[in-house]
Amino acid sequence: MFELILNVLLFLFLVYAAIFNVLEAPVPDKVERNPYALQPGVWPTVLIVMLLVLIGFNIVKILKEKKGKDDFCFSSFLKGIPAFFKGKLFVGMLLVVIASVILEPLGYMVTCFFLLFTYAILLGDKNIVRNIIVSLALTLFLYLFFGVLLKVNLPRGTVPALRNFALWLESILP
Amino acid sequence: MFQMLLDGLAVVFQPGTFLMTLLAIVMGTVFGALPGVSATMAVALGLPFTYSMDPVSAIVFLVAIYCSSITGGSIAAILFKIPGVPSSAPTTFDGYPMAQRGEAGKALGVALVCSAIGGLVSALAMFFLSPQLTQAALSFGPSEMFAITFMGLSILTSLDADNILRTTISGVLGLLLATVGQDPMYGVQRLTFGSNQLLSGIEMIPVLIGIFAITEVLQQTVSDDRLTAEDAEKAGASSLDTTMPTIKEWLSIKWVILRCSILGTIVGILPGAGATIASFLCYSTETKLSKYPEKFGTGIIDGIAASETANNAATGGAMVPLLSLGIPGGNAAAVMMSALVLKGVQLGPLLLINQPQYLSATFVSMIITNIVMVFVAMAIAKAFAKILSVPYSILGPVIIMLATIGSYATNMSTMDVKIMAIAGIMGILFRVMHFNSAALILGLVLGSICEGNFSRAYTIYRADVGAMFMRPVAGVIMVVCIVALISPFVGPVLKKKFGKNKEKA
Repeated sequence: MFELILNVLLFLFLVYAAIFNVLEAPVPDKVERNPYALQPGVWPTVLIVMLLVLIGFNIVKILKEKKGKDDFCFSSFLKGIPAFFKGKLFVGMLLVVIASVILEPLGYMVTCFFLLFTYAILLGDKNIVRNIIVSLALTLFLYLFFGVLLKVNLPRGTVPALRNFALWLESILP
Repeated sequence: MFQMLLDGLAVVFQPGTFLMTLLAIVMGTVFGALPGVSATMAVALGLPFTYSMDPVSAIVFLVAIYCSSITGGSIAAILFKIPGVPSSAPTTFDGYPMAQRGEAGKALGVALVCSAIGGLVSALAMFFLSPQLTQAALSFGPSEMFAITFMGLSILTSLDADNILRTTISGVLGLLLATVGQDPMYGVQRLTFGSNQLLSGIEMIPVLIGIFAITEVLQQTVSDDRLTAEDAEKAGASSLDTTMPTIKEWLSIKWVILRCSILGTIVGILPGAGATIASFLCYSTETKLSKYPEKFGTGIIDGIAASETANNAATGGAMVPLLSLGIPGGNAAAVMMSALVLKGVQLGPLLLINQPQYLSATFVSMIITNIVMVFVAMAIAKAFAKILSVPYSILGPVIIMLATIGSYATNMSTMDVKIMAIAGIMGILFRVMHFNSAALILGLVLGSICEGNFSRAYTIYRADVGAMFMRPVAGVIMVVCIVALISPFVGPVLKKKFGKNKEKA
C-alpha cells in the first residue's frame, strides 16, 4: 500500500509542477518570437508528461499485482505508521536531516560531533563515555584532514559563540 | 617520434620531477578514494605544488594526479559503495556486490588493472593520433553529441530487465531533476519552486553521494545482517591479497577492455563529455553486447572492467584537445590549462609544433602513472579495507560525515548537504517503490548535456528534427540506440514467435 501511496503522491506532485512551476520566469521576447528556438519549457514538459503516463501505468500495475492480498488495504497501512515513526530507519533519516539543517548555523564541529555521537547510539553503541571520546577524536581528525590538510573551508557556523570557537580553533592549529 | 619520446623520458626521469610524479600518484589515488573529492578538485588541490615548477614538470605532475584520482575512485566504490569520483558510479553496480560476497580483492584487481590498460591505450592514442583525433572530434556537432548522450541513456531499458517500467521512470525522473534551475540555452528559471539556491541547478555529486552512501548507511541501520568485523575481514582485508582473477577470467573480458578503451578515449576527446559519461556509456554498451546482460549489476567483473577501463581511457582523450588546440575537454583539463596559462604558456595549435616536449612529457607521465598507480592503489586499498573492520557503530556515522563533507566541499554550499540528505531519503523511498537509483543518476548525469545539445541542434537545423539525424554519424548512432531501446521489448516476443515456429516444424 505504501508503494501505491508514494506513486500517487509523485503523480500529484508532477501534476502540480507541470501546472505551476515549469517556467518561473518570462521567456525573453526574441526567444519566444524565434520559430526555430526550442522553448525553455518544452523539454521539462515533455519529461513530465512522459512521467505521468509511465507512473499511471505503474499505478495500474501495482493495483493488478496487489489486488486481493490481505495486507493491501488502507487500514493495515495506517496501523504500520506508528511503528515506522518509532523505528530506527525513521530516526536515522531524521538525524541525517537534522545534521544537514544545523550545519550552516552551528558549524562543522557541533554538527560532526552530534551526528557521530547520536548515530553511534542508534547503531547500538551503549558505552557512552567511549562514544564521546571517539566522536570528539573523529571530529578533530576529520577537521585536521579536510580543514587543515586539504584546505576545505568547513562551515564555522553563524551562531556567534560557535563561530568564535571555530575561529579560535583555526588560530591554534597549523 | 622516437626523439620526442626520448625528450619526454628525459623530462619525467629528472630526479625531482620523478619524485613529484610519485607523490602526485599517491595524492591522486587518496583524493580519488575520498568521497566528494572529484578528479577536478584533486587536480585543483595539486595546483599549489606546481607554483615552483617549470611548465612541463607542472603538467607532468597534474596529469599524474588526474589519472590516479580517477583510478582511486574505484576503491571507495567497491569497498563502501561510495563512488570516490562520479565516474566510478557504475563501478559500484558490480564492485560492491562482489565485495559483499568476499571478492573485494578480485574486484579491486580488475578495477586497477583495467584502469591502467584504459589509461595506457588512451595515452598511446593521444601520443600518436592527437591532431587527427582532435579534427575528428571537432567535426562532431550538437546532433552527434545528442546522439552520443542518448546512447548512454539507452542503458535504461537494460539496467533492470525485469523491471523496465520502473527503471524507465527512474531515468526520466533523473532527466527531470537535471532541468531544475536555469535552462541551458536562455537561462530561463525552471522548477526551482521559488528557491534561489536551486537556481544553479541540482549538483550531481551530492545526489550521487546521498543516493549511494547515505541510503546504504540507513539501510544498514535496520539491517539484521549488518556488516560485522568478521564479515569485513572476509570482504576486505584478507581477500585483498589472495584472490585475483584467473587468466581465464582475464581472457573473458579482453574484448570488453578493448572496446571500452577505444570508446572511452573517443568520449574523452569530445568537449563537455568526460570520464563520467564515458563510464556510463561503456557500461551501457557492454550490457547490450554481453551474452549474459542479466548478470550485470549482480557482481561480475565485466561491469567493473567496462566502467574502470572507460573512465581512465577518457583521461588521455581529455588531454588531446588541450594539447592540440588549447581547448579543455573537461573541468580537470580546464584546471590544468589555467596552471599552464599562469606560467605564461601560449596554448593553441602551435604548442605542439613549437614545443613538442609538452606532448611527449604528458605521454611519458601517463604511461608511468598508469603502471605505478596499480601498486600504489592496491596498497592504499588495503589501508582502506582495514577500515572495514572498524565496528559499524563508528564506521556508519563516519561514512555519513565523509559524505556530508564531500557534498559540501564541491561548492562550499550547505544547500548541497541538504540535497544529499534528501537524496539519501529518496534512495530509501526508491527501494520501497522498486525504482532504480542508478537509472536516476544516469538521467541526472546526462540530462543537461542531452537537452543542451538537442536544443542547439534544433535551432541549427531550423526546427527540423529529421534533418538533425540525417548526418551520417548521428544517424547511425540513433539507429543503434533505437534498436538497443526496443530490443528488451521486442526480443522476448520474437523469441516466443520463433520458438513456436520451431516447435511446429
